Amino acid sequence: MKETLLLTKHMRENPEESHLLKSYEKNGGYKGAKKVLKSGSPESVLEEIKSSNIRGRGGAGFPTGVKWGFLAEDEERYLVINADESEPGTFKDRILLERDPHQLIEGMIITCFAANISKAFIYIRGEYAKPARRVQNAVEQAYEKGYLGKNIFGSSMDLDIVVHLGAGAYICGEETALLNSLEGRRGEPRLKPPFFPAVKGLYNKPTLVNNVETISSVPWIMNNSGKDYASLGVDGSTGTRIFSLSGHINNPGNYEIEMGSSFGEFVESLGKGVRNNKSIKAYIPGGASAPWLRGDQLEVKMTIDDVANEGSMLGSGAVVMMDEDTNLLLAAKSLVSFFAHESCGQCTPCREGTTWLENILERIASGRGRLSDIDLLLDVCDNISPGLTWPPKMTTICPLGPSATASIVSLMKDFRSEVEILLPKKVVLR
Amino acid sequence: MTEKITFTVDGKQLEGKQGQLLIEACEDSGIHIPRFCWHKRLDPVGMCRMCLVEIETPRGKALVPSCTTQVTDELVVETESDIVKKAQEGVLEFLLINHPLDCPICDKAGECPLQDQTMAYGPGESRFIEEKRHFEKPIPVSDIVLLDRERCILCARCTRFSDEISGDPLIEFIQRGNKTQVNTFPDEPFKSYFSGNTVQICPVGALTSTSYRFKARPWDLKKVSSTCNCCSLGCSVELNVSQNKMLRILGEDNEFTNQGWLSDKGRYNFEYLHSENRLLNIQAKENNDFVEINIADANTTLKQKIEELQNPDVKFVIGANSTNEEYFVINKFANLMNRNEFLSKDKSNVYFADDHLFEGYFGDEYENATFEDLDKSDVIVVWAEDIKDNIPVLFLRIKKAVKNGVKLVVLGHTNTSLESLADLYLGAEIISTNFELETSLSNVKEFQDIVEDKKVTAIVGKSTPLQQKKSLDALVSHLQKISSTKIFNCFSKANTFGALQHIDQLKGLNEFYNEYDSSKKNIIFTIGSNPVNESLFGPKVKNILQDADFVVSLDIFINETTELADLILPTTSFGEKEGTITNMEMRVMKQNKILPDPGSTLSEWEYLTSIAKSLGKDIEFGSVYEINKALVNEYQSDDIAPSFDNLNKPSNLFGVINRKDIDLNVREVDKSKVSILMVRRLYGDSSTQTNSPSISMLSSERFIELNSKTLEKYGIKSNVANLTQGPLSIFVNIRLNNLLPNDLVLAPINRRGFENLDPTKDFNLKETNNLKELSVN
Repeated sequence: MKETLLLTKHMRENPEESHLLKSYEKNGGYKGAKKVLKSGSPESVLEEIKSSNIRGRGGAGFPTGVKWGFLAEDEERYLVINADESEPGTFKDRILLERDPHQLIEGMIITCFAANISKAFIYIRGEYAKPARRVQNAVEQAYEKGYLGKNIFGSSMDLDIVVHLGAGAYICGEETALLNSLEGRRGEPRLKPPFFPAVKGLYNKPTLVNNVETISSVPWIMNNSGKDYASLGVDGSTGTRIFSLSGHINNPGNYEIEMGSSFGEFVESLGKGVRNNKSIKAYIPGGASAPWLRGDQLEVKMTIDDVANEGSMLGSGAVVMMDEDTNLLLAAKSLVSFFAHESCGQCTPCREGTTWLENILERIASGRGRLSDIDLLLDVCDNISPGLTWPPKMTTICPLGPSATASIVSLMKDFRSEVEILLPKKVVLR
Repeated sequence: MTEKITFTVDGKQLEGKQGQLLIEACEDSGIHIPRFCWHKRLDPVGMCRMCLVEIETPRGKALVPSCTTQVTDELVVETESDIVKKAQEGVLEFLLINHPLDCPICDKAGECPLQDQTMAYGPGESRFIEEKRHFEKPIPVSDIVLLDRERCILCARCTRFSDEISGDPLIEFIQRGNKTQVNTFPDEPFKSYFSGNTVQICPVGALTSTSYRFKARPWDLKKVSSTCNCCSLGCSVELNVSQNKMLRILGEDNEFTNQGWLSDKGRYNFEYLHSENRLLNIQAKENNDFVEINIADANTTLKQKIEELQNPDVKFVIGANSTNEEYFVINKFANLMNRNEFLSKDKSNVYFADDHLFEGYFGDEYENATFEDLDKSDVIVVWAEDIKDNIPVLFLRIKKAVKNGVKLVVLGHTNTSLESLADLYLGAEIISTNFELETSLSNVKEFQDIVEDKKVTAIVGKSTPLQQKKSLDALVSHLQKISSTKIFNCFSKANTFGALQHIDQLKGLNEFYNEYDSSKKNIIFTIGSNPVNESLFGPKVKNILQDADFVVSLDIFINETTELADLILPTTSFGEKEGTITNMEMRVMKQNKILPDPGSTLSEWEYLTSIAKSLGKDIEFGSVYEINKALVNEYQSDDIAPSFDNLNKPSNLFGVINRKDIDLNVREVDKSKVSILMVRRLYGDSSTQTNSPSISMLSSERFIELNSKTLEKYGIKSNVANLTQGPLSIFVNIRLNNLLPNDLVLAPINRRGFENLDPTKDFNLKETNNLKELSVN
């Protein structure tokens, strides 16, 4: 199994200076944008994107072309790049921001051309200081060159890009919370309806919110073609994806591969196998929000639909492997603690429920569990995410609360005995 | 929005309006969906998740909050399915896990939505064995509101109220997740004229008021609906009484007037009723001291005085807090006591203690506005005294209208608090410090652009008694020329319009001192009024009262006016009397009695009929019902006659508009220079407020407002100064207000220390030398 480098080719070949404009241009950068602005039309760009069948790389996997098509008409529309990459286990956008920011900017120029947008924002996670610096520098370089601002590349198109740093809240990766934060409000998800970003987004105007990786793919698609892109990967999961592989693996890291091979192959060939030749007990196929899969499910194909069929999701492409020595109760508790800490506090079930779940897991882990605690855990989960299905039903405003239940449900479904052993034995009086 | 649609709830076909929220549409049809964060008058936020229901969607059934879901045609809703019930139980359990079980000492217990809905929809027992979340038990967020963050369920009602409705977002969520709490910003207390509303709409006992804390249990309260008399808006209120003590006033949701809200003055200005300073017995002056006498002696004294003085001039200075029934009797009594026997235009002997009345009331020849017109018009034009301070809930109505897209134009120097809402603020650039229009409005293009050919509601009144009416005439006639205009006569005192309707040829206070003739024998009645303290003409009135041969005061306290009286007849007050009052849109509303008459107090009409009887003249009324009947006869309108019976009908509970003719005979005050703009602030040293401990300190600050250029002129560098005028020297805080014109200084009228300030004379501002001691605090 080999990597297929589309987005990461330039940075792999020029590790020292891939973030610089001269390196990017030397390697064919901004050619696609120039060509599109000179001789393309918004319709033709949209056509290419649609024919590439690329699906959003932020986690939900929504077809990008369709999303662009939904954008409501208005005099003022915005593009917002969601670079608030905070899902535990995910670190793919980081390299795109840090090591190839011009690729993102070029993608934004083409996107804004296609969607007739003249103001765009890059919302970067607060902790990403270095990536933010690099992106800021790249934006300034682009302005100097006339690639941003008025009449870019001498065309009639104007585009301004604002780089904005978050303040350290995971919830601001949720697109409507991100928009609130960008407007200077509390980072809390908005109500949908009526605040669908494509209709009432930033400052109540139609807004495209796309992931870094999605928009970074746009230059390649325009330099080649939507068909070329669609020929990579498999139906429904076309093109390449950057997977962030971590956990008990010999060779963790970011790998750009075509979708379609199995998790097992991926771990063995690119991940160089499990640390200390152990076996995998469980793994997270798509970030901290995703329900776990078992070690005996490694043959599952790495496509959006295949993972969904197993009741989980490919999500943000964060693959976390947990070997046979892992204490899964503590693993679940660690994840739940994360979500409890990051709950925005807006709606009751998430605000109160996630912390309660954390408390119960903590109690069990420290030997103070009760027999009824497993039922209690699952029922509290059920009150946040009725039916405990995936994709989740919600009593909450956004999926953060239900995400906190995923690991607990996986734990209780497949590894219940690991928890039961910590609970007091049932005493039967004779 | 008015298109009728049908939808199904729990198998029943219901009717609703397109665009209506599901929770409201269900409520209209009698189906109650539990809720905490949703409030009819606030924007929905869908936060508490208590109102989750199941609806059918193309992708199967989905749980949605009914407070954010609009009804659509053929929507199918389940409000009692197993999934809905489980979700409701779950939400309640979540809310309760960190809610303290201190119901036994919580003021809200017994009327608590959390308690009630836990009983109706909640789980039977708690599965939570961890320690609950802890915060410092109640912290004061202002002088009158306390916050218990442990009890708070984070529904955002209070924060939304102060943001959306009152526009002073001084309380906000801080922290996040499980640690989220409501709090104020550092060093910025929740200092709002409307803070009490947050206490009322809090669905738990998290927000409590200093005045009601630990005073009663809800089930011990006796309740009656009434109408507030703090200003001329006429807010519908519910009076809560226990053991013959008024303990609390709540706002009632009257769609036409206050829509549920009250100002803090209206809400908390009642403790004076039970003040130990309240007059409970008739007081007669003997050797400069008051002694108690009985009513028979009082009547005899008065009768002897009238005979002794031989056909004296009898004048009446009346206040705004009497009921229409009382005004009706005052009018009859004044007629009897008038030397001319019958009142003619020039011969009236009744003067109104509000110096803001002005000549040429915009009456019959103008179209008069109602509060509903504010929402229906395109533009609201305001030129009057400060609305937020004098008719606070009207400020809320204006703010609401503006939020819904109505344009706002503000003129003058007094309504600076409306500036942030206004589309156009015309202050110093076209209006002089003497409140004269310096530019014809037709030359002000921005004004023309906003107003021309639009539906306009104009709120018009004098910013100061010294303002000449021709400036207002110019505004009104210009508006009438270029737009279709309805007018509010902005008289802000409680039942001013009742007085105007029921007193023949009511006169202004300036005529009182103009017409007073010290060479004659004079008897003066002051009835529920304190002109010495509350009027620009206070010093002049004081001289007259000292000069008069005999002064009778009907009032509830010894105050600046009544201390000059020879005879004080202590009267009943708010909640102790029944009657009707008329608000500024001429809506006649009911005031109800729930407290007994304290001590040996009587109503104003009872004193007057009894005096008349002792004088051998007859005003025959046995009860307030009889007066009401006589009064209704004067309306001569059967269908909307505001009789008690009529107002007690469910359809008329919130009053009926009845435009009885108004006779107003006020002459213009002589033109003079305005050097200090004396304005009435919401809180002042009225005897009712100073005797209500919870709010008495809210009027303690002595301050002036001026712009930075004027301040520079006086060379003041600190935020305090000495305001001097002749021998007078007042230590004041300085508030910068750059909307004021140069050289105009604004000062509050009803504060101790300011009573001898003459707004027409020059003044000086000096650096004060006790700065150092002050900065220690």
